[in-house]
Formats: sequence, C-alpha cells, structure tokens
Amino acid sequence: MRAPAISIKGRAFGDRVLLALVILLSVIMIAPVLWVIGLSLKENAELMANPNSVFQAPYTLKNYINTIGTSSVFVWVFNSIIVSGGLTLGTLILSSLAGYGFARLNFPGRNILFVIVLFGLAVPEQAVLVARHQIFSMLNFHNTYHGLILPGLSASFGVFLMTQYFKAIPKELDEAAMLDNASRFRIFWKVLLPLTVPAQATLGIFTFLGAWNDYLWPLISATKKDMYTLTVGMASTQTNFAQSEGIGFLMAQAVFAGAPILIVYLFFQKYIVTAVSGAAVR
Amino acid sequence: MTADIEIRNVSKHFGAMTVLDDLSLSIKAREFIVFLGPSGCGKSTLLRMIAGLETVDSGEIAINNERIDHLPPGRRGIAMVFQSYALYPHMSVRDNMAFGLDNIGMSREVTDARINEAARILEMAHLLERKPGQLSGGQRQRVAIGRAIVKEPKAFLFDEPLSNLDAALRTRTRIELAQLHQRLQSTMIFVTHDQVEAMTLADRIVVMNNRRIEQIGPPMEIYERPATKFVAGFVGAPAMNFVEATLDRSSRNATVRFADGVSVQTEIASNQMTDGKYTFGIRSEDVRIVPAGQGNADGMVDVLERLGERTLIYTRLGNGQQIVGSDVGNSRVAVGHKVGLAFDGQKSHLFSETGRAWHAKEV
Repeated sequence: MRAPAISIKGRAFGDRVLLALVILLSVIMIAPVLWVIGLSLKENAELMANPNSVFQAPYTLKNYINTIGTSSVFVWVFNSIIVSGGLTLGTLILSSLAGYGFARLNFPGRNILFVIVLFGLAVPEQAVLVARHQIFSMLNFHNTYHGLILPGLSASFGVFLMTQYFKAIPKELDEAAMLDNASRFRIFWKVLLPLTVPAQATLGIFTFLGAWNDYLWPLISATKKDMYTLTVGMASTQTNFAQSEGIGFLMAQAVFAGAPILIVYLFFQKYIVTAVSGAAVR
Repeated sequence: MTADIEIRNVSKHFGAMTVLDDLSLSIKAREFIVFLGPSGCGKSTLLRMIAGLETVDSGEIAINNERIDHLPPGRRGIAMVFQSYALYPHMSVRDNMAFGLDNIGMSREVTDARINEAARILEMAHLLERKPGQLSGGQRQRVAIGRAIVKEPKAFLFDEPLSNLDAALRTRTRIELAQLHQRLQSTMIFVTHDQVEAMTLADRIVVMNNRRIEQIGPPMEIYERPATKFVAGFVGAPAMNFVEATLDRSSRNATVRFADGVSVQTEIASNQMTDGKYTFGIRSEDVRIVPAGQGNADGMVDVLERLGERTLIYTRLGNGQQIVGSDVGNSRVAVGHKVGLAFDGQKSHLFSETGRAWHAKEV
C-alpha cells in the first residue's frame, strides 16, 4: 500500500504549509492589537524618548486609570451602544415585517414597491447626505439619538434579505397554521419568525458592526461632544489630544473602545463566520 | 366527530385557466373517499377548496348541511395532512400537536390528554419531545397524522401523504391508515394519483380527469365496470388492453371484429348500442394464454413480467397490436413463443368514440 502512504505524506505537508500561512496571517492581524495594548501600558515620556521602549519593562496601568478618571470614551461607547443597538433592533423589526409582507402578502403595487426598495441598494449615502442634513436640521434631529438612528433604518439590504428568506420557507407551514386556527400575526410570530433566526443573526451582526463603525453620518449629525459616537470621539481625540495627553492614553481609550465589539464577536462568532462566508445557517 | 360533506356546482379558475368545472359530489359521514386522477386534474385543488386554502369561484361547499366555503380554514373543523407533512421545524412534536389546540384556547389538561391519546394510538409517545428534524420520514408522517387527530376534526383531508415514503413504508402506512379509519370512524378524504392506494383505502373512489369527475364508485365497481375509457385505462396495472374494432349487432350479444379479422363474442347486450367505431377493452387477467390456434387470436410473446403469483405476457398480434395476457406464476411460456389468446366475453368492455362504456350484464 505504498501509494496511499505517499498521498497521506503529501497531505500532511500541505497541511503544514497551510498552518504556517494561517499563523503568518494571524500574526499580521494580531500585531496591531498587541501594539495598541503595549503602547497603552507605557508612560508617555518613555515613549517620546524611545518608541522601542514598548518592548521593555516597566509597564504601568496609569493610562487606564487616567482613562477611567478623565476620558469621555465611556460616554462615546454608551452612545455607540445606544445607536448601534437601536439601529439593529429597529432594522430587524422593520426588515422582518417588510420581508414577510413582500414574501407572503398580496397587495397592489407589491412588485413595484419591492423594486423601489431594491433601488435603495444602488444609492450611495453621500448622494443623499446634504438633503438629509437639511431635513434633519429643520426637524431639530441633529445631536439626538433618533437623529443618529433613523437614517439607518431604511435598510434595503435587510428588507431584501428577509424577503428572500421568508420566500424560501414552504407555504405549507402557513397553511398548516391557518388550519390550526392561527391568526396572521400568530403565524408570523410563532411559526415563521423563529425560522428566520439565522437570517436575523446575519442581518443583526452586519447592521451592528456597520453602525458601530459608521463615521460619516455621526460626524455630521453629532456636533456636541457628549453626543459623539465612538468613531467620531476617537477621531477627535487623535487630532486634539495625541500630542498633549500622550499616545499611551489614546491607546488605553482604544482598548476600552474595542471591548464591546470583541464581546459581540465572542457571542456571535458562529454567525459572523457564516455571514461572512455567505453560507446559510439552517 | 364526523361529517357529511356536500359539494355543489363548484368551479375554480386560475386566471383564464379553468381548474374545476361545475363539479358536484356528496360524501357521506364516516366514508373514506379517495380523489384519484393524473397530475393537473384538479384533485388537490378540490381538496384545498374543502380545506379553505383555495377560494371557491362559484358553487358551494357544506359540512353537515352548514355552508362553510366562506369560513376561514381554521373555522371549518377540518384537519389536513400535507404531502410534505408541514410540521413546524422549531417546535417539538408535542408543541406541533398542541399548537392548534392552544389557538382555540383549549385547557392544558385537555390538550395533554389528547396528545397522549394520539401518541398512544400512533405508538409515538417516545417521540413527543423530539424536533421534526430528528425524525425519519415515517415518523414525521405519524406526527402529521397525530397533529390532525388531536383536533378531533369533523373530517380528515390527506393530500398525497404517502408519496414521500419508500415502498415498504408506504404499504405499512397504508394499512395503518385503513386501521385508523376503522378506529376513528371519521370522514376521510384522500388525494392520490396512485391507484393501489385508491383501491386499497377507499370506500368510494372519485376518478377525476380534465377538470371534472369521470366516475364515482366503490373500488371494484371502478375496476370492473369503468364508466369511461379514461377510467378503464387509468385504473389497473397493467392498463386495460384496447383494440379498435367494428361492431356486429346481428345477435343478442355484440360481436366485435379487429382489423386483422380476429372476432370476439362478447356478452354485452347489443340492442342498446348503435353502429359506429368502437374500442374493445379487456384486462390482462381476462386474457388467458392457451396453445396457439385455440384462442380468439394468436400472438408472438415480446416480454414476460414474472410477478410471482402470476406472469404477465406481452404479446403482439399479426397487425402489430400489443395485447397483455396473464398466465400462472410458473408459466412455461418464453419470449418468441407463439401463443393463443382467449378473451373472456363476460369481462369484455366496449367504448364508443365519445369514451362511454358498455359492459356485460352483471352476473
């Protein structure tokens, strides 16, 4: 049985090459994170004197203590959680209802309306930014949570995704539930919606990450410091405080800022991997 | 609980296409009715109209003399078993069965009692906490039936429920369904295109074709005295032999002649018939294989199908016409043999050009 032995050997070699590549890519990915953590643990004066001191003791938690004592980062994290969470919840509710409507209800103009929704995918945010800014100014929506959340709720992608998902659920389930004397809302809520959890998870993760990382609209809408989201706040820190307060202080803020998204990743990593790889979780 | 179901002058259109055309049917309480027909004949549409899943364009449907065609599906007192079973995948078997009862506000005690009783009848008590994804096809089928039973409906509707099962399980489930009907004594309507299911399960078969009912009757009546050429050809395997023939009405019973001169004396009274073109029909078991020259015609054996208890013998007459006959299980006939074919005049049928059938008088 010589041939299979060679083949197994060949496969083992291939696996080792693959493993080496994975390790290399992991190091490239993790290096900036380690760099941030390393900087956050150093005194500013030491870093100014010698940037390579990050590799040498002593290390200190002073930057973290200062951040907890003086930084606005927790306000910005809180704002980001409210905006991203609100936007995610709203998108899931609206996209599910709209998706169910497009997939299951017959109403005049349904197909045209769906095409109009899909057009939303083709319109970049920059194209409507000025008009939206004007409208929100008139409505006094700037520097409010709803001002930051509302624009993201018109989620064409979410409606499209949920419509396709609802369409893929066999209609016999609706019919069986109708024969079981269930109302239309009960069919939606108890029978169909639980079956869309994988799509909801995918949509929720994409929406949350998108909202968390969004910079452009919060930069325009949130002009007061206490309404900054994390992205806007961190950017303002970089330009305003990096020299005076020190790079170590800035990096300690970055560690706090990254924690919530890391927690989201830890809880939903199965769905994130599936969502990114494009496979359906069923 | 059981119900008479009355379908009066019902029609159904999908756009410009007529699916059912002025169809009427009475189903008696406790009857097991099978809608049998080829794909697209409208049998599933009719079932779905009774269930309330399709609207009725004209006509009416009544259960126990109460019109129900305007009621939503859940208010008709009907339970349906779907071809795909349509079990709720995220619910346990118990929750699947309880869902319909919860929706009408049934108490937990009554719900549990009904579920346990259905589980006992269907021998699936050990499956109650599983999800449908953890069940085999046959088990899912049982759950679907159980979900129907717990509702104690006036009538059960089955939409080709056996077609997703393998052959052995289908036979077993068929027998269990027959036993279930005897036990529950409920009105049951069963849709299938499988004539074996229809013949074995039905009190009466409704043979449908091309938007209308061809014949309604008990299985053996459908088999032995088909009302039309379509029914004769659709019911029975192998299909009935058909031969174009001319009619000789000079004697009391009709004699038919095939194009190649073969003649068959039938026992069909000729006085009700008119001259014209007819099709002679006879089932394979009514064509005996005899030595060449001793039957009504001689044929060359093309193919043998040994079924165990009998052998189907496919022969070809001189003019190329195929006739299937039947011989004993261990028949010594071989492919290429010349054999005689003896037609049973008592079991012969004649069909006019419009498809109408004539049979010998019942003995």
